Amino acid sequence: MLEVKNLCKHYGGIKAVDGATFTVERGSITALIGPNGAGKTTAFNCISRTVTPTSGEVWLDGVRIDQLRPHKITSKGLSRTFQISRNLSDMTVIENVIVQSRVDGIRGLLRPAMSAEEKDKAMTILDFLGITRIAYEDGHNLSYGQKKLMDLAALLMSDPKIILLDEPAGGVNPSLMEEIIGHIRALNEKGLTVLIVEHNMDLIMRLSHKVVVMAQGRVICEGPPEVVRKDPHVLDAYLGGVLEEEAA
Amino acid sequence: MTVTLQQSSASSVLKARRAHNEKLARKADQTRATWFPLALLAILVALPLLQFVGNYNYVLHLVLFTASYVAMASGWNILGGFAGYVSLGHSVFFGVGGYFAGMLLARYGISTIITAPLAGLVAAVLGYLIGLITLKVRGPSFIISSIALLMIARILFDNWEFVGGANGLTLPTNDLPVQWAKLPYYYAMIAIAAFTVWATYRIKHSKFGLGLRAISKDEIKAESAGIDTRFYKVMAFAFSAFFVGMTGAVWGEYLTYLRPNIFLLILVSANLVLMSILGGKGTIAGPVVGAILIVALNEFFVATMGASEINILGTGLVMAVGLIFFPLGLIGTLAKKGKLPRVLNWD
Repeated sequence: MLEVKNLCKHYGGIKAVDGATFTVERGSITALIGPNGAGKTTAFNCISRTVTPTSGEVWLDGVRIDQLRPHKITSKGLSRTFQISRNLSDMTVIENVIVQSRVDGIRGLLRPAMSAEEKDKAMTILDFLGITRIAYEDGHNLSYGQKKLMDLAALLMSDPKIILLDEPAGGVNPSLMEEIIGHIRALNEKGLTVLIVEHNMDLIMRLSHKVVVMAQGRVICEGPPEVVRKDPHVLDAYLGGVLEEEAA
Repeated sequence: MTVTLQQSSASSVLKARRAHNEKLARKADQTRATWFPLALLAILVALPLLQFVGNYNYVLHLVLFTASYVAMASGWNILGGFAGYVSLGHSVFFGVGGYFAGMLLARYGISTIITAPLAGLVAAVLGYLIGLITLKVRGPSFIISSIALLMIARILFDNWEFVGGANGLTLPTNDLPVQWAKLPYYYAMIAIAAFTVWATYRIKHSKFGLGLRAISKDEIKAESAGIDTRFYKVMAFAFSAFFVGMTGAVWGEYLTYLRPNIFLLILVSANLVLMSILGGKGTIAGPVVGAILIVALNEFFVATMGASEINILGTGLVMAVGLIFFPLGLIGTLAKKGKLPRVLNWD
């Protein structure tokens, strides 16, 4: 469904992403892991075009999307969250969610900010995530965990086909993490494809169908979690070793 | 294929929530007093009746002058308040509107009151084109680019002989008796101001307005939320230029002359910024209250201290002290504290 081909992002001499190639199958939960600085978030940013890739291609359902602007990518059905929750303060949770709903054409721009149907849909999503009680709370009054849930709610508002989650459980307490895992699994069971960047190995191993391991901007291994965790390259990368080809 | 969430098992909870939200919405409606701006408008429309009992030209002039600033500050608010792009170059659109309609008046004798919407449109097109270039940067860079725009426009108009260069040009006066001479411009300006306030209200409560608010908070997030940020920003620039251009058109004929050092002054732009900030950026009533306050303060200090430098100091002091106690502007701060009087809640 999502194909990343030879993706590169160079910042001057630093090759943050250096020829990453991987695919995300429809209906799967795919995890992107790797040590700090492996280029996971940069790869994410390139896919959602938050940063412009230096080279490479990204295809979504057979359509090349790496030259589209971010809002177009969102309207093609790919939505993302940010590592550090970026919410719109001074806007209520429900506004934060509804801002993500689709607007078509000039006439769409002029219709009321929140229609009754949109409010209903937003409340249904908030109910699914169990946070209806904060619907009219100001965005910046939320706890970190609530912000993560609000981000997830906002994603769902845009009717995505695939969601990219950047550390959805980063910095949240274990019980909330369980809740988030439950939500992601439930969404996946409804047919949503998920690509996830996460440091929490426990979460990755339990949740994902496929794991893509990056180190130094490249994909060094991919496969089912139980295979990946035993791969010598992966152990090497995580334990601070160097890649073979670099050592040579 | 998209994922739809069914009404979950907890739909009774949802129903209760919905009832609760409706209650909240009703409560919000009750704190809003739409009758107040309408009553204010009615009083202003009836105000010229005073001319039957005496000469109140000064009062009419003050209201007209304030209305022009209400319109311009509210227009500025679309870009500066909603989208968060502070422009110090809006006097360019004031000038373009004034000159465009003024030239039509001078050449073809068509009143600017008729051509004002057209002048606004010209300003909007110019705003759109300039926005395409300058809205690529934000923060201080954008402010500086807007000042640069103003300087370029000033040099251009100072040297453009066709429109009279630095000397400007005189426009024909109307032939109404002096008692009624201000009336057409008075009503035109009130209408423009009312239309602008109404339009900013509509914009704020539309998808467009929600998008602009998102842009002002976090542009990257807004873009990844599916908002075409470039288009939204440029449209905001065009809309805000439209209202300022319309005001400029009528102002030119009212003054009966056009000159670059009247229209293309940074003081005019700075006033728009100050009014919006003092009243409350991003609120509907803010620029209105700000415009009234600043015009009133100016008049008061000029009357009491004379047109010396001290009167400027007086206005400045009041502004500084005001912003210390009302950092989000009068309306913004009061609303945040839940102390906004009903009559001023226009949002």
